[in-house]
Amino acid sequence: MLDGMMENVRGFFNKSRDERRAMIREAVDNRVRIITAGLSMDELRALLRGDPPTERPNPRYKVHVTSFIAHIRPKFYYKASTRFTHTFRLGYMSTLFFLIEIITGLVLMVYYVPSPEGAYGSILEIESNVMFGQLMRDMHRFGAELMVVFVWAHLFRTYFTGSYKGQQTFTWLTGVFLLLITVVLSFSGYLLPWDQLAYWAVTIGTSMADKAPPPAIGEASNLLLRGAPDIGAGGLLRFYLLHVVLLPLAGILVLSIHYYKVAREHGISLPAVIEEGDLPAEEVKEAKKRVDIIPDLLTHEIFLACVVTGLLLLYLMFFYPGAPLESHANPLQTPLDTKAPWYFWWIQGLLKLGDPTLMGVVVPTIFVIAMMAVPYIDKNPKRMAKNRPFAIAYGIFWLVALLIWSYMGLPQFGIETPPATRIVQDLAPEEGEGMLREIPFDQLVPGTYVVNELDLDNLPIELSFFLQEFETRVNEQVEIYEDTKNDERPRGFIDPFAQVHITQWQPSLKRVTFRLEWSDPQTGAFKEFEHDFYLHEDRPHD
Amino acid sequence: MASRENADAAAPEEEKVEINRREAINLAWLASLGFFLLPFGGVTLLFAYPRFREGEFGGEFRLRSAELPDIGESPVANSEGKFWLTRTDEGIRAIYKVCTHLGCLYNWQEQENKFICPCHGSQFTYESTFIQGPAPRSLDLFTMRAVKNGEVLAETEEPNSPIPVFDDPEVEYIVATGEKIVGNPV
Repeated sequence: MLDGMMENVRGFFNKSRDERRAMIREAVDNRVRIITAGLSMDELRALLRGDPPTERPNPRYKVHVTSFIAHIRPKFYYKASTRFTHTFRLGYMSTLFFLIEIITGLVLMVYYVPSPEGAYGSILEIESNVMFGQLMRDMHRFGAELMVVFVWAHLFRTYFTGSYKGQQTFTWLTGVFLLLITVVLSFSGYLLPWDQLAYWAVTIGTSMADKAPPPAIGEASNLLLRGAPDIGAGGLLRFYLLHVVLLPLAGILVLSIHYYKVAREHGISLPAVIEEGDLPAEEVKEAKKRVDIIPDLLTHEIFLACVVTGLLLLYLMFFYPGAPLESHANPLQTPLDTKAPWYFWWIQGLLKLGDPTLMGVVVPTIFVIAMMAVPYIDKNPKRMAKNRPFAIAYGIFWLVALLIWSYMGLPQFGIETPPATRIVQDLAPEEGEGMLREIPFDQLVPGTYVVNELDLDNLPIELSFFLQEFETRVNEQVEIYEDTKNDERPRGFIDPFAQVHITQWQPSLKRVTFRLEWSDPQTGAFKEFEHDFYLHEDRPHD
Repeated sequence: MASRENADAAAPEEEKVEINRREAINLAWLASLGFFLLPFGGVTLLFAYPRFREGEFGGEFRLRSAELPDIGESPVANSEGKFWLTRTDEGIRAIYKVCTHLGCLYNWQEQENKFICPCHGSQFTYESTFIQGPAPRSLDLFTMRAVKNGEVLAETEEPNSPIPVFDDPEVEYIVATGEKIVGNPV
């Protein structure tokens, strides 16, 4: 054998230079063919140049048979199916963001510690002490929210173009499961930073599970999720495992089924007008021309991935305020204005309408089942909007309902906070910045500032804006009283006295005290409210 | 080959095909797999179900008369036991700190003279009764017992109702956080 090798080497060097080059080229070409599952180097260049195949039979189709990665992709789509205004690339974007989430998630797991003692600290570590840590976390957080948007949008696009009919019935069903997995994935990740935002949003979320009928089932599912009556170490670990193992695996499995149906059974639906409109045969023929995945759509997808990740990075670096992180979770104190993640506002809005079991569990479950059942109920074979007016109206109805419920889910809607608490909370929220904390430290001039007796002339600009806002908010309550004093339940303040008192508390620490006194509009009793804030000179500003 | 032709020939007549031995055995295997997986699913749920001891939570809290709030005084929070103590003319209540709506911790609002939940705005009176909001029922109480030398003088029996406070300083008041009394539905 060694002799044979030596013979080859000697043979190689006995050849002319051109022959040697040709031999090397052939050897490299063979390697490339093995790696690319059948494409030669010339073929690769032809792909990138947009040239026709260099060999017969078309080696590009062979890749779909021989390569594992390519075998789950179809060989071609019809030209009209790939119109941007037909798909808006929403399925692709959902998948792309799923991939981004998996990659950034794996990177974050390097530092993340799923325990109540370690979680919050590890997020701080990632944000402040790990190179590109903040960017990774922002990408993961913001990407997750975008993924929810894209999946919802994909669902509504499919609905309005009637692309769930016929062969695509089962694909639709798997798609609804993917929506559920996406939302639950996002929600399970919500708890992991272990801050106040996370802790209380998830407390509310799991309490909804608690309301599932019958009570025994509800209680059991709540306990299974939380691992204890309250969310603690056990609950955090459970959510972590759901988030990094079970749900991603489920997502990959269902996504594979979903995409396999598209790739092997029905492709992307044609625009309805091609199937049903009275188009000339020429046009239909043109619409049904094949667009090969390799190279046309593949290069398009690479282009899209570059543009989207580029825009994402630009947005995150220059405009995104940073993934939210409130103070450390405190199981003993629910912060004011606790809210669910925005993609659950519709449920939170529903919850304000009545019984939690009915509104928090039964109605959303009916909603999801109704979505799954859409193609099994809608037997109308027509796909064009004008041929299915009821279905279109039904879709718009639910879309609008979701938006209205979401609006009702905002913390400002329907929650009665006592006015004095509200005013102070708005100016200096328990979590986040607010007007007070945005005032630069040196502008906090010690003194007593009484509402309606303000002398703003010599005050720094931000402090005077803040004081004016406080004054406006207090006087607003006087007007509210004037407006409602003849009502059954008058609201607002009678004869309020309000002041802000700023003192130099320690060398680098100032204390800001809000004080409000007023007469209760219903009883006439004297009421007071006082709240202190301590602001340190070195406190970081956002 | 011969059997395939026979089967094809038999198909149009829709002759019933008998279960043969192989099919029976394969069905038995499948069934046994099912019999294994079904309880295994149940076992997994039980495995994940958290463990409690009887009456566990915060255990029992013993309070002396002197530790009780005065009549009408602002509610006194016990963070370890997760309850508020409120006292009226009728007596004293230990109110579970968790809102009956979705598990947030409501706060005492001095200005409004009521409990208000920061999450969805449910409101309750000083006596734990529902006022307004999305909550389905009044607040839950913990069972309280007034005990003197081991003898139970009074015990919470009804939802949302207090036990009397005795003049005797010897009397101990026990808050049993393992025994929750669900509030009256709205």
